[in-house]
Amino acid sequence: MTNLDHGKFTHVTTVFHSLLALDVFALFFTGYGIMFNDELWWLVVLLGGYQGVAALHRIAGFGLVALIGFWMLLMLTTSTGRGNFREIVPTGDDVAAFVQDVKFVLGRADERHPNARQFAGYKADEVPLLSYVGKGVVFIFSVELTLLTVSGLLIWSKTGVMQFFATKTAAMAFVVFHGLLGVIMLMGVMFHIFEHGFHPAFYPVETKAFIPRSMIPEAHGHEGEREADTTGIERLTLSPSWSWVTNLMGAFVVIGIVSVLMGSIFDEGYPVPNELAVGGGPSNLLLTVGINIGVFVLFVGIVLSMYGNLVRIRWERQLERERPRTTADGGRVAESGED
Amino acid sequence: MDRDLPETAGYSPLAVLGSAVGGLVIAFLSVWWAAGNAVSAESLFRVAPTVENRGVGSDWVAGNTIEWLDFLIALTHAADVIMGVFILVMVFVHWAAFRRLAGRMRRPGEPNRGDGVAADGGGTAKPVDSSGTTENAGGDDSGGERP
Repeated sequence: MTNLDHGKFTHVTTVFHSLLALDVFALFFTGYGIMFNDELWWLVVLLGGYQGVAALHRIAGFGLVALIGFWMLLMLTTSTGRGNFREIVPTGDDVAAFVQDVKFVLGRADERHPNARQFAGYKADEVPLLSYVGKGVVFIFSVELTLLTVSGLLIWSKTGVMQFFATKTAAMAFVVFHGLLGVIMLMGVMFHIFEHGFHPAFYPVETKAFIPRSMIPEAHGHEGEREADTTGIERLTLSPSWSWVTNLMGAFVVIGIVSVLMGSIFDEGYPVPNELAVGGGPSNLLLTVGINIGVFVLFVGIVLSMYGNLVRIRWERQLERERPRTTADGGRVAESGED
Repeated sequence: MDRDLPETAGYSPLAVLGSAVGGLVIAFLSVWWAAGNAVSAESLFRVAPTVENRGVGSDWVAGNTIEWLDFLIALTHAADVIMGVFILVMVFVHWAAFRRLAGRMRRPGEPNRGDGVAADGGGTAKPVDSSGTTENAGGDDSGGERP
């Protein structure tokens, strides 16, 4: 038999994920406070005005370079890290998983593809380290973070770019480029929050990224369940609040993504206009509300990330309490004959 | 049934420490470089007023009309829109898939048939114990929500 299907990562990976999330959220709040200052003026005020926001953004940027440097060195210098590269390479199965997801939604497939499955249940043995979405996230975020770090360092002190172009306006182009690049990641993170916060079996947070595999007890010798037809999700009870919370958050995620996308098209800063332009183009009430809803989604993400860590701490404590009490064979007392 | 914590191949503390120190060194060096230490002030803003068509303010105009920078930004806009639409598709696919999966689960308040199962598909735990932390791991039959 299998282990809990959400225990896939090492302790180092789960801690890294939480630190990276905190750092990226800090970069989002400060960076998009600057870019969408029309709509997020309150965020700029809260974070210490323009000087404060810019300083915090640089501090978080320093943290990001350190985290990326740490992760790249760890992946390259350890056999566990190098061994994981194979696991994240997209394959034909991942394309099939996306196609099957669409079919599943349309009612033309009975189950999600193993490479798409978040809740695996009885079929946890079939599920890879990362789903097709997980692989996409790793690749897209890697490219994004690389480009953002390079462009961010170039505009760290504008003199760096100005040395290459000998002009302030060209430096402005790099600031705009940096902000526009991050929009993909901003939208991606909103989806990531929805994907891992609102799966009905895991609501309100999927603990895969928080509880390391080393803390998930494994069960062996359950041959009967290996051949189960379903994942077993029909034996779980849906949370009473899942439906309305998920619909609300789904709507917020869609509004947030559309709004930051629209905002990024209007709030462009290059070429620098000759006239003094108050505001960032046709910014209006709807866009302001929409972008603020997007920021709310990010706040929910931070809360869920914290909650995931809280769950891990509780899990650790329960493990400590239960380990000494286990029976001689390491098993638990079964409730009925079915175990 | 045997139920143990697995043997996992993790990262050695030395590798983690070494990478952490390395990451900090990389960050310090990058920021040191970016903060202006690689800049030659001589090459900044030389307006060369004696050269024809170059004068005060000409750097502003010149810097505002660099075609490849303009193109790079247009390209990023396009990438934003394409990826935005794709991400929206993924949101809708997951939203709908979650609704279909939720439809297979027991309704809230539906009586427990006494065959509760952990999310791992593992064996049935003692009912009293399983209502504890296992639930937080999305692991019991309440769907994982805490009141």
